[in-house]
Amino acid sequence: MPAEELGKASRRMRLAFAISSVAFLVVLAVSPVRDYLRAWKRYERDYIRFAQSRPDTKQLLADNPFEIDQIWIPQMQVVDRCTTCHQGITQPTLEDSSVPQPFRAHPHIPHRVRDWGCVICHRGQGLATEVRDAHETTLAWEQPILPVRYIQASCGICHRSDLPQTPRLNRGRELLAALNCVGCHRLQGIERPAMLGPDLTNIAGKVSRAWLYKWLKDPRTITASDGSVVVNGYENEDEPRMPKFRLNENELRALSGYLSTLPTETPQPYRFDPRELAAWERKPDLVEQGETRFRQMFCTTCHSLAVTRAGETKLIGGDIGPELTKVGSKVKPDWLTAWLRNPQAYLPHAQMPRYQWSDQDLYVVTRYIESKLTDPTLLSDVPELQAPTAAESQLGQRLFLEKGCASCHVIKGVASQADYGPDLASLGSKTVSQLEFGNSRMARTLVSYIEAKITNPLSVNAAARMPQYSLTPNDLEAITSALLSMSGNPAQAGLGNLILPAQHPQFRPAGAFGELFERYKCYVCHRFNGFGGTLAPDLTFEGSRAQRKWMVDFLKNPQTLRPTLTFRMPQFNMTTEEATVLADYLSTVMQTPNMNLEGVNTKQFTPPMVSLGKQLYEVKYQCQSCHTIGSTGGYVGPNLSNVGNWMNPAWLEGWLKDPQSLVPEVIEPRRAFTDEERTALTAYLMTLKQNGPTRTTAAAGRGQ
Amino acid sequence: MRSKLIVVLAVLLSAGVGTSCREKLAAAKPDPLARAYDSEPDANDPQRVIPLNYQQAQGKRVFYQYCVWCHADATPAGPSNRSNLNPTPPLANDGTAFNPLSDDFLRNIITLGGSAVGKSALMPSWGKTLSQDDIDAVIAFYRAIAQPPYQAPAHPGPKYSVR
Repeated sequence: MPAEELGKASRRMRLAFAISSVAFLVVLAVSPVRDYLRAWKRYERDYIRFAQSRPDTKQLLADNPFEIDQIWIPQMQVVDRCTTCHQGITQPTLEDSSVPQPFRAHPHIPHRVRDWGCVICHRGQGLATEVRDAHETTLAWEQPILPVRYIQASCGICHRSDLPQTPRLNRGRELLAALNCVGCHRLQGIERPAMLGPDLTNIAGKVSRAWLYKWLKDPRTITASDGSVVVNGYENEDEPRMPKFRLNENELRALSGYLSTLPTETPQPYRFDPRELAAWERKPDLVEQGETRFRQMFCTTCHSLAVTRAGETKLIGGDIGPELTKVGSKVKPDWLTAWLRNPQAYLPHAQMPRYQWSDQDLYVVTRYIESKLTDPTLLSDVPELQAPTAAESQLGQRLFLEKGCASCHVIKGVASQADYGPDLASLGSKTVSQLEFGNSRMARTLVSYIEAKITNPLSVNAAARMPQYSLTPNDLEAITSALLSMSGNPAQAGLGNLILPAQHPQFRPAGAFGELFERYKCYVCHRFNGFGGTLAPDLTFEGSRAQRKWMVDFLKNPQTLRPTLTFRMPQFNMTTEEATVLADYLSTVMQTPNMNLEGVNTKQFTPPMVSLGKQLYEVKYQCQSCHTIGSTGGYVGPNLSNVGNWMNPAWLEGWLKDPQSLVPEVIEPRRAFTDEERTALTAYLMTLKQNGPTRTTAAAGRGQ
Repeated sequence: MRSKLIVVLAVLLSAGVGTSCREKLAAAKPDPLARAYDSEPDANDPQRVIPLNYQQAQGKRVFYQYCVWCHADATPAGPSNRSNLNPTPPLANDGTAFNPLSDDFLRNIITLGGSAVGKSALMPSWGKTLSQDDIDAVIAFYRAIAQPPYQAPAHPGPKYSVR
């Protein structure tokens, strides 16, 4: 080879070597450079700069490690590096919303970040040190950060009972129960109740086929454009339990035909004495009397009616029973009389109490409902329906099962369809790969899956059997939170031990009291040892609070204790014997163990004590801001005009000492009374008595 | 030639790495925490909704349990007790009444009652019923819904905490 060529080749070689060595150097440099530019290191530098701009720099940088920071809690399998970037998370001075993220402090909550880590509540990947890996769904990690609006779901993973701090979660759980979701789905912490929807075996004796058609077509007449629910044309805060099943004309005819031709066992209609009936019929104000009795019995404590005032129509009344504005056009008269006399004969699990009716009351109230609570145009948009054909009834029978009606409703001879829908008891811990998104174009996350499924079940699966609910955005958030909280046993093994299970207290008294307790359904409104409704006062310690004689009088004729409440105790027309049985049981059994009723004797009270108590009440503590005596005072608390006949003196003393220990979360503030002041106030209150016979509303109603 | 190459490569490399890594701090995006907890309609303008942060939302909860009966014109149970009282208590969102009062003053009147700070004894003391956190939360809620809006003092005095 000539020397020139050799020189050329070696120059080329040198150039190649030079390039490759430079490339090698660069490659070597990439790694330290990339390391220097890591996002978390940048946040560390930014944090130092940020801290230097604040007055409390020293405090903010006091325990800053300037390296990857990790919260490691082996027993809960927590390895969270979130605090590497979220460096101000425990700094109380950085809570303000003007502090830029990721440096803002965590709001002040009962759990400390250092004791619990972050991922247990917020989800995401705790080990990651890149923003995207930590927050989003990646190939290696399917659990993205939980949007903050659903964060209360994480409280519910361990706290299976309602907490006051989680209203959204509580509302969601309440909705899941109220909307009968357990009819088809298995849910964590919500038991399947004895009755979901009404028993339809004898429905033909109650309503017409035309009404069934209208109801099946759309259980609400209109849904307003803002998403608020309108029942029979009246705005209602609550979604009706019955959802919309998207039935076509044929299906509507078939189902209504099938239901209206079920073989019914209608009992003989109740017959009033024809002579008395004729006498009542002659009265010109029959319907008005009915209305008066309807109001006096406080039916509106459980049922609502649409009331138009100043051009604005509103539903007034409770939501325990159905809304009754047009019920006269819905139910058949004979059924109504039989139902009012004994609701449990038609529906064994009905919540309606069995009232003591006089024949006259029963007759006038039924007449009022039939003639005033009506709408002649209610069924005007229903097409004319002939007697159903055999084919229609057959299709209806098939549809009843296909649509899952038997999940909530009972028909004698048709098997119940519990667990008709998928098991959702651990939905909240499902990963994205366990969900079926179909061809939908939504974001592949659990949250968007749940939201879409509830908003419109067909958006995820065109063949979905799930009916259509129309929830407000707030309720949608609440239900999603509640579903996300249903995580089965938490993924972190150590957390399993921390679950605080929901309490499901039961109170089923036996004997004569138990019978009356069931008859008058006391537990629908009142609470006993944690069991029962929350509409009316908790009666767990009623025996310590009220005097037995007062209880008997009150049960026979409930007076108004809190004048501003719309909801009052209904007038059950109890007999003296019944009231005595109830009062005896309450005053001997429902007592607090921490109070000696004999401990305070009214005989020890002296007139100077009473006058001191009066002065304390009126001047020093100004109790009249919330309580009424006579006709003056506020009405936040109960009227105290008759408290001397009503309450036990020991209860008053205990109450003044610490009201929240007797009734949790009661509004009455706990004051710093001295012992002397407390005794004086009790002495004064025990002198407040109203004597003289009270006119019973029952007598007033009968016009006697 | 060699140095040129190195320079070119280094510039390219740093530019590439720099642009790919540099993510803007999330200042431009709307704050997802703003409406995450709760909101309260503006009493003067029903169209406007006031977002509440965690503490303010806790305050709203406490307010609607204990305070609403006398410091609002409508309550969850219907009519308000406000008209029964003389002197009439200020409405919760009355900025002209509450904005001039310091946090410490409000903390005192809630904890110790009206008579302890020279106001009407109709306002009871809540110090044994509510926790300090509850009381701070209620104050934060009042500040959030005040009309006209509350402006925190620019130079807060020496920080004094009862906690």
